[in-house]
Amino acid sequence: MMDDGRSAWQRVLRSGRVLFGGGILLLLFICAAAAPLIAPFDPNEQDLLNALKGPFWTDTAADGHWLGTDNLGRDTLSRLIYGSRVALFVAFCAAVGTMLFGTTLALLAGYFGGAVDWIISRAVDLWMSFPPVVLSLILIVGFGVGLGNVILAIILVDWTRFCRVVRSEVLVIRRQNYVDAARLAGFSHLRTMVREVLPGALPLIITLMSLEMGIAVIVEAILSFVGMSVEASIPAWGVMIADARKYMYQSSWGLVLPIIAIVLTVLAFNLLGDGLRRTLDARLQQH
Amino acid sequence: MSGEIFGIILRRLLVAIPLMLLVSVLVFVVLRLIPADPLSMAVPPNATKADIEAMRREMGLHLPVIQQYAIWLGQLVQGNLGKSIAFGQPVATLIGQSLPATIELAFFGALFATLIGLGGGILMFRLRGSGGEQVADVGSTLMMSIPEFLWALFLILIFGVSLNLLPFAGRLPPDVTVTNITGFLLLDCLLSGNVSAFFSALKHMLLPSLALALGTAPLIMRVLRSSLLDVIGEDYVTMARLRGIPERRVVNRHALRNALLPALSLMGVQFGFLFGGTLLVEVIYSYPGLGNMMVEAVRNTDLPIIQGAALVFALAVLTINLIVDVLYIVVNPKLRRAR
Repeated sequence: MMDDGRSAWQRVLRSGRVLFGGGILLLLFICAAAAPLIAPFDPNEQDLLNALKGPFWTDTAADGHWLGTDNLGRDTLSRLIYGSRVALFVAFCAAVGTMLFGTTLALLAGYFGGAVDWIISRAVDLWMSFPPVVLSLILIVGFGVGLGNVILAIILVDWTRFCRVVRSEVLVIRRQNYVDAARLAGFSHLRTMVREVLPGALPLIITLMSLEMGIAVIVEAILSFVGMSVEASIPAWGVMIADARKYMYQSSWGLVLPIIAIVLTVLAFNLLGDGLRRTLDARLQQH
Repeated sequence: MSGEIFGIILRRLLVAIPLMLLVSVLVFVVLRLIPADPLSMAVPPNATKADIEAMRREMGLHLPVIQQYAIWLGQLVQGNLGKSIAFGQPVATLIGQSLPATIELAFFGALFATLIGLGGGILMFRLRGSGGEQVADVGSTLMMSIPEFLWALFLILIFGVSLNLLPFAGRLPPDVTVTNITGFLLLDCLLSGNVSAFFSALKHMLLPSLALALGTAPLIMRVLRSSLLDVIGEDYVTMARLRGIPERRVVNRHALRNALLPALSLMGVQFGFLFGGTLLVEVIYSYPGLGNMMVEAVRNTDLPIIQGAALVFALAVLTINLIVDVLYIVVNPKLRRAR
């Protein structure tokens, strides 16, 4: 068991995808954590004399503003750095919440089967008949704006993703002999579920979490873009895109840079998830 | 076979009815949680307390939620979705005006997504074992990380602002008008014989539908590639090769037919998402469809429109899933002969 665990970790650390994705995320995390130390300006500090400037390699660059400024002269680099805080915070909280909610329901459905499975599966069907964007928009209208509500909305929209996939995995694990053995040895349902069934689904859950973080970043950006996410004083990438869109004829960099930030972050989560899936999934290893 | 398909449609419709009812409960309940008072939008600033109370009664907002739901549902069944608070017009009329535009957009999006997805999937499959495989792999992962609303902005920046090649606002230039016959603009252009307007409308359609397609196609590409990899080792493929059939023909004629099925069943889910994706693409391209109307209604807290639009979106997803299920059975000979 020990050997197996160690070699799995060695495989993970040798995967180019995991290293690349993880590397970008580590950098991003440092940016978010140390934002006040790294950012050259206050993200909300206006400098109207230097509005809509381009990055340092363009003709319209302004001294000190490395990546240019927006329509109010706010420093793009500083706003990008502070924006990573919102993105990563939402990504982490939403992914943990979705995982807990979706996996719990999946365990119950797959383990007990029967009526429990039927009800949970019908709930998934119901949820899946809404396009995710539409459902999250309705939820935000119902809850009101704010970071906590955005996270709650993402959890309430995306739990189905976990529930569907983990449930079918649990259905397979449930039929293994060692699960029956645990029951025969007198383990309670709860203990069997948590100690015997759950570990088998863990590689899948870890992979799904990484992908979910990428999705959460996108959903938060979408909600900020339509003005339904954070308060105006908090710099978020989606807000930057919405602001810059109105001035894209004067300066397209204000639009391009936050888009690149989002794509790079989502790419990192996807690469990490993909790499983990390839290295942790025993069935894929055999191929 | 047609009887079989009819039976499946019937069974799916029977499932869809309680599902739609639950959808309507969900929409109704969530929107009652709303912190803002929807009346605040509707009343004039100089309204007295009595005016507001009268309006509240007129709109039925003083009744218990369950009773409000029952009334709303009763009206809904009769095709009455209530009146928009901001526009004062019946919601059903407003949806009737904007839905055809969204269906047109989603149709072209799905068409492009299918073309790009299938073409890309076959291309990725052909690249297997070559140096291009890694490039295609990274490329498809990168594409999967770009959602349709970022594609929409990218395409505007490249083809609209920088190259100035294609229009990116609305469905037609402001000085062109087409008589409204069916509500489907492209159809109306042809019916009224306005060829130049038809091509102009097509041009306007290109960027938004391409953005939708690029957000959907990568997953189709990947699934098609992996199912092609699965079937390529099958006996009938080896047989075809042994008979001396050229590789290109082996892939296109023999392997692709069977590999298409998993891709097709994925498309059902994906095109449901694609229909939801029209929401932001419409906002970005100022495209006068259902999604644009819904986002506007969200900003105005125009509850009747939000409710109506959400229901139509759910109905559209269920319809798309049904269509793809039927297609799946039509093209899958295994399912056809079973029974």
